[in-house]
Order: sequence, then structure tokens, then C-alpha cells
Amino acid sequence: MHRLLRLSILLMGLSVAVSGYAADAPQPTLTTEDDLGPQVVQPIEFPHDRHAGLRNPGDPLKGGMEIDCMYCHTYARRSAVAGIPPLQKCIGCHQSIETVRNKPRIQELFKYWDAKKPVPWKKVHDLPDFVRFNHERHIKRFVEQQNRPTQEACGYCHGDVKQMTVARRSKALSMGWCANCHQKDHPVTAAGGTPVGNQAYWYGFQKPVADAAGGEYKAPDTNNIKAQGPNDCWQCHK
Amino acid sequence: MIDSGLDRRDFLKVLGWGGAAVALSGCGNTSVEDGKETVVSYVEAADYVIPGIGVYYNSTCAQCDAGCSINGRVREGRVLKLEGNPASAINRGRTCGLGQAGVQHHYNPDRVREPLLRHGDKNEVITWDKAYALIAEKLSGAKGDEVAFLSGGVSGHLKVLLGNYLDSIGSKNHFVYEALAPAVVRAANKKAYGVEMPRYNINKAKVVLSFGADFLGAWVSPVHFSQQYAQFRKGVDGQRGVLIQVESKMTLTGANADRWIPVRPGTEGILALGIINALGTASGDIAAAVKGYDRARVSKETGVPPGQIDKIAALLKLRSPSLVLAGSAAEGYAHGSQNAAAINLLNQVLGNVGKTVEASTSVPFPQMAPAKGNTVALKSLNDGLAAGKYKVLFCYAANPVFTAPGAMKFKDHLAKAGFKVAFAHYLDETALQADLVLPLDSALEDWGTQVPEYMTEGAQINIQQPLMEKLHANTRGMGDILLALVKQRRAEEYKSFDDYYAYLRGAMLLNKNALGGSGADDDTFWNETLTKGIVKLAGSAGTLSGKASAAGLTLPVPSAADVQYPLQLIPGVTASLRDGRHANQPWLQESPDPLTTIVWDSWVEIHPKKAAELHITEGDIVEVTSRSGSIRAQAYLFPGIHPDAISVPLGRGHEALGRYAKGYGANPFQILDAVFDQETGELAMHETRVKVSKTGQRVVVVKDEGAAGGKQMGRKIAVLVTTDEVDLSKEA
Repeated sequence: MHRLLRLSILLMGLSVAVSGYAADAPQPTLTTEDDLGPQVVQPIEFPHDRHAGLRNPGDPLKGGMEIDCMYCHTYARRSAVAGIPPLQKCIGCHQSIETVRNKPRIQELFKYWDAKKPVPWKKVHDLPDFVRFNHERHIKRFVEQQNRPTQEACGYCHGDVKQMTVARRSKALSMGWCANCHQKDHPVTAAGGTPVGNQAYWYGFQKPVADAAGGEYKAPDTNNIKAQGPNDCWQCHK
Repeated sequence: MIDSGLDRRDFLKVLGWGGAAVALSGCGNTSVEDGKETVVSYVEAADYVIPGIGVYYNSTCAQCDAGCSINGRVREGRVLKLEGNPASAINRGRTCGLGQAGVQHHYNPDRVREPLLRHGDKNEVITWDKAYALIAEKLSGAKGDEVAFLSGGVSGHLKVLLGNYLDSIGSKNHFVYEALAPAVVRAANKKAYGVEMPRYNINKAKVVLSFGADFLGAWVSPVHFSQQYAQFRKGVDGQRGVLIQVESKMTLTGANADRWIPVRPGTEGILALGIINALGTASGDIAAAVKGYDRARVSKETGVPPGQIDKIAALLKLRSPSLVLAGSAAEGYAHGSQNAAAINLLNQVLGNVGKTVEASTSVPFPQMAPAKGNTVALKSLNDGLAAGKYKVLFCYAANPVFTAPGAMKFKDHLAKAGFKVAFAHYLDETALQADLVLPLDSALEDWGTQVPEYMTEGAQINIQQPLMEKLHANTRGMGDILLALVKQRRAEEYKSFDDYYAYLRGAMLLNKNALGGSGADDDTFWNETLTKGIVKLAGSAGTLSGKASAAGLTLPVPSAADVQYPLQLIPGVTASLRDGRHANQPWLQESPDPLTTIVWDSWVEIHPKKAAELHITEGDIVEVTSRSGSIRAQAYLFPGIHPDAISVPLGRGHEALGRYAKGYGANPFQILDAVFDQETGELAMHETRVKVSKTGQRVVVVKDEGAAGGKQMGRKIAVLVTTDEVDLSKEA
């Protein structure tokens, strides 16, 4: 009796899981269209547009200041995590910007500073714990090697932040979405340079392939597959 | 045992399918914590603090007193991992499992967090000011010799400060107690070599003959010896070193030996004399002393076959230099000093002194040299307590209520002390008996200096510094507490020191030139010292003195069989639990014992032959009864023990300490008889005789040993099937 009961619990769990899967959003397409995350209410409505947005030559008080992302998010180029700027960073500038000193948001900011308490920001971009995304590598490649503008490079994943006030997740940040770029830019090739295509992730896993006769399955001859590092599973799943 | 219908296989199935369910539902494209989790930034951040990147600090391991230097990785202000500091001559970048668990001492959920005034079983949280005032009040009502301070081994500036405090009270009663100190061997060494702890060069020896010295596991400085041992095995001049271990209960070192010789408990000294006799190279009074120890007699008394004795002697003759070590198994008897003396004599006869036994260097600040713990201190404290001599008792880094032999009735005597103050990390058995419990910083939060007892090349002072901010606001470093207490009495002398850090820095800077900082300015010297974590000193090399002599060497004939208590109890010292002070670190509880692979519980090691005689099989709960009490634990059949002995590991069986220690296993300290070494007065730990009886209960021994947990074969639990072959409908 107990065994039957247990079995039914198992099966029920399984069916719930499967239906949960079916109800989820479909896999993203291979372009990086926006896939908006939830609106997040922050303790201080930080205006990214004002800081990073384009200047307005006509009325400098209305436009942005084109501050480089990494002026504040200074850890991104030095660490796997981008971190949140220390409160000190905000105060460093704002203590000498008298014009906005009495704005409610700035007053709020100084309240935290005077109490020496960090602002309890809410996380906007988050990956599951089993995924290790490395900011430093991406900055190195796009900004330092390829000399692309910082806002463009950060924007691949974070969207057009300079248009936002409070940041909002605008890309899917799912595995398929990540692999989309990785496959395009680091194709897995068989001997002679033939792209192997979407078997990229299987490189480390050794996906079994049918032999020529179509019968038996065996592990692929990995010597003939040349994958770049960024397509190995362990790059993200350490 | 879990007595439900859910067996291991069903459990794994639930786990497997449950895991699959989680994995499937996790396949969606939503991020997991968007907008829910808080990310907290620094308010102000130092330049070198980068989220996700570790910062490393050097400090000193406080898990045992070997004095290994450690290097801690700190990320986002939290210490995550400890490794050895390669610059230390003691551990050269290595740590042991006990050291690795140091982070669990720091993050332990059962640490005491507030000063507690205890009323019976109730705790009242009080402020530090009130606690200090209370101590001052109690001290004012007591004369100097009515105050006693019990501590574990202390060294460095803490020892100096403690000495000054006791001096200010006018008390000379500093009892330095370590339950497992090699105190008898120290005394025997002092006699034979002129120093208590010479430097052993295992790496230079071609043969190591160890009488129960578990130098790879828990003896003196195991991390250092393990590295020497590796060199010894690679060999001097291409000759691989041979290790012979003589002991009644196999230790980790015994398990690594080329030849493991089970000897009748307590006859180690007789075997040593027998080997001297078999060597035939001794002359004078030594030859006369060993004359009677011919192989027939020695073999009869020790149980070692005559052929073995000849082989050992032949090997020792063939390969020189060798090294003979006297360890805890040899010293733990009423004639322990004699055993150790006989073993040291063998070293001298073999001409090893000056080759593999060398003079150690000592730190040129004798006041900082370690106050070495022993068990004589426990006895005299216990006698004093029994006589009601003490009005105030302080207790630091010792847990005598747990580690004192049951026969000493320490807990009862402790109650006679008027006011008991415990400086504690946890509410251990002793702290529970105290009137005032003062919470200490963890070793990773505190400042300090440490001078190791066992010095390797040169001398060194180890620096202990905080690896991270304090976890709990109301804990204090031992140095800070002592400074506050000594200020109560000598305010003028100590007024320039705001805290122990200032005291430590001031004291180090005062001796800057002697500490190798001549010419450097104060800040540079101090910062360099903290960066390195070690102050290396030339030190003063001692000299070995004393000539080989057999004068006064008398070894008793092994006692006849005791009918009522036929077995010898050997308290097992394991590398991770030692005397049990760290038993609340779960990594130590769950790391399998190297020899039996048992986890989370105590066991009674018993020889299969003896077990068959008593009809005991593995997993029987047996009762071990001595004249002083009895404990219960699971039986484990183990060929690595003398048939006339049983062994129960020390360290488990706590009634307090914390959630990972309380209620796990049994405490053999409880049933130890109060027998003492005749010469030194040290507790003879191996001198308790016991009987073993079955209780009728049985358990499955939880251990790693054997295929798939040792018990699954033939029970179709670990059958190999792929998931598509699983037919749940047939599993009803």
C-alpha cells in the first residue's frame, strides 16, 4: 500500500513538472529580440538615461551625460561579476553637484550615506546558480580587443540601458539565447572546417552519433571536431 | 536506524525523479531571482576589494598547537577557504583536514554570542561591563592563592599578558592542561637528550622505528612530519626508508608502515630493551641492563615472535642512521616514563642522537615560549578543587569536564569552586558548569602571536590576524578580555593600550630590531610582518646533552590476566577529533576515520578472534565497563588491534558543545581510571582495564568501507539499469 502511494506521488510530481514545462514560454528565436523581464521597483529610482543617455546639445539639462558604463560598474572589466557600485561612488560626484542636491532621490541617497547603510537594490539580471557568466571575458573581447563602444558591448545582454530609468531585463538570458551568439561566433567545425552546427554544446559531452550504417550508436571521434573554448559546457557550468 | 518502509533504493528513486521534475520545470527562460533578491553593495570599498575576486591573508591555524601557518581566501568580506602558507617551515603550504575545518569553527552556528550569567540551567545575557565588574567584585573577595586559572597550552604575547594578570592578582595557580600532550615523552627526552622536544629528522633516517608515535595522524606536528615522511619514502641515497610501527592499536602511521607489529599493551619498553640486546652493540651498564632481555623472554612478554625481533635488529644494524620514536601508545602506562626511557636508550645505542635527533632552536624570548600543557596540572587542580581551595576559577581553551577521567570526579569537585568563569567559543561541558561564560572571537577574527612547541628549521613566531570582520558583535578576543581584566588592577601600566591589537603592535615594535626589522620604520615593519604572517628568527640552537645510561631503568613484568576486567582499553586518538574540542565541526564528524571509515559515531575496535570468543559481530551494541564506569558503542571487528585490547576513539560522546557534537557517540574519557605515571605523575591513559558485554541491540555500522557501503551486495540495490529500463509498475 505504501509503495503504491509513493508511486502515485512520484507520477503526480512528474506530470506536474511536465505540464509546468509545457506552459513555459517557447525557446527564443535566434535573434536577440527583446524579451522583457519584470518591472522592478527599486528603493531609489535610479535614472540610467540621465547618466548614460546621449547629450542634448540644445538643452544640456534635459539630455544625458554619456557617462561610460564602466565608470560606475567598475568591477565588470576586472571580475566575473559586475557588482553594484559602492555608495561612495554616487556620493563622490553628487556631493559637489549642488543643482540636484535637493531632489528627493538625491536626498534619499544621502540619507543612506549618512547612516552608512548600503542601498538595498533589487537584482534585475540574475542567472541560476549553476551558471557562471564572466563579465570580464566579454569586456575584454568586445571592448578591449574589438574596440567596440562600451554601451554597445554591454547592451548585447543588458539592452539599451541608456534609454531606461530603472534598469529592466530586456534579453532572455536563457541558455539557448546565450548559445545563439556562441554558435555564430565560435562555430564548431569538423576536420576540414565544415561547420558541425548545433552540436556545439555536445562537444564536451560527446553526443552519440549513428555510424555510417545507421545502426549502432557510438561516441563521435572528438579528434575531428574542433571547438573553440567558448562552446564547451564547462565555460558556464563550472 | 531509520525504521520506515522507505529503504535506500526507494529513497534514491524519489530523489532521481524529483530531480528530473525540478530540472524540467527549470527549463523555462525566466531568470530565477529577477526583482526578488537584494544585491547589497559596499558603502565604501577599498581599492583592492573587487566582488568575485579573492583577497588572501596570512594567519596561523588554531585548530591544534602545531602552529601551521595558513593563508585564507576572503571574498566579499567572507573567509571561504584556508590553505597552508608556503613560507612556513612547519607546514610548507600544506594543511591537514583538521586545519581545513577551521572555517567551520568560525561560522559555527553554536558559538556563544553574548556574555552569559548562568543561574542553574538558565542563561542571562549581560553586558561586558557588568561581566567585568562581576569578576572584579569576586576577585576582591578572594586572596591570590584562592584564584586559579586553567588553560590549554598558551604561548606568545597572550601568555605574557596572562602571566601579568595572574601576577596582578597575586596568584601562582596557572594550570596548563592538555588532555593529549606528549608530556611523559617530553620528560624522558629531557633526561635522555637534555631537551624536551628535539628536532626529529624523519627525512634523514633510513629506518624509522616508531613505538606508537602516530606522526602522520595526530602526534606533535603531523603536517610537518608527513612531508618529512614523503622524503623519507623517496629515500636517502636512493634507499627507500623503511617504517616499522610497534603499537597495540593500529594508527594511521601504523597503517602506512612496512611492518606493523602488534605488541602486548604496555610492553613497548621491554621490546626496546630486547632489540638493544639483539643488536649486541651496547656495552657497560647498558649491556648489563639488557642482559636479561633475551629474545625468548622478550618474545614471551611482548607477544612479538623471536624472528621479528631479530629482523628488526638486523635491519637497524644494516641501515644507519635510523630513528626511534616514543609515542603516546608507549607513554600511556604507569611505567610510561620507563617505556619512553628504554625507547630513547635504543636511539642512543643506535647512534642516532645528533643525526636524526637534533637539538631544536628556541625563540630568543623565553617569556613567549609555549606553556606546555600536561595532565599533572589537571590532577593538582582537581585536588585543589576537591579541597575547596579556590574561590574564583578561570577556564580557557580546556574542557576538563569532558576530558578528565571519570574516576577523577572532576565535575563534582568543580562545583566546589566559588565563582567559575569560562572563556568559551561554545557552551561546552565545562562552560555549562560555569557561573559566567564570556564569548570569544573565533581564531579567524582574533589577533595573536603563537610560538610553536615543535620548532623546525630555525625559530619562528607565528602571527594570528583577523581574516574578516567579526561575525557577532558581542564576542571578544581573549587578548582583549585579558587586557581589560589586567587594566582593572594595573590601569596605569596598560593605559596606553586601547586594545589587544595596540598591545601586540606595541610589543612587537618594541623588539623590532630583534625581530629582524632593524632599519625599517614602524609601519613598514608591522605591515610586512602581517603580510608574511610569520616572523622568522635565527633563534638560539640548543645543544643535546646527556649520555646514554640505563641507570634507574626498571620495567615491570606484564601483569597477569585480570579475570574481572580482561581487556586493556586503548583510547584512540584520531587525526581529526583529537580530544574532542572541535567535535562540533561537522566536516570532522563526517570525514571517515582513515582506518575503519566510520562516520558520525563512536565504535569499539575489537580483534575478530576476541569477538568470536565473545560472540560479538559487527554492529552489536556492546557495553564497555571499567572500574570507573561504562559506555555503549557499536562493535567494529578490526584485525589491527591486539587481541587483548579494545579501542574506542576519543572526541565523541559530548553532552553539550553544539548540535553536531551533542549525542553523537560515546566518551571513553568517562570510564578512564585515575592511574598515573609513577615518575612524572602524568595520567596513564592506556592503563584502564575493561570488560565487554553484549547488550542485545544491533545497528548497521555507517561506514564507507566495502562495496557500495559494505552492505548492499546481494541486495540488488545498486543494480545498473538505464532510466528507460525502469518499469515502475513492477516495483510495487
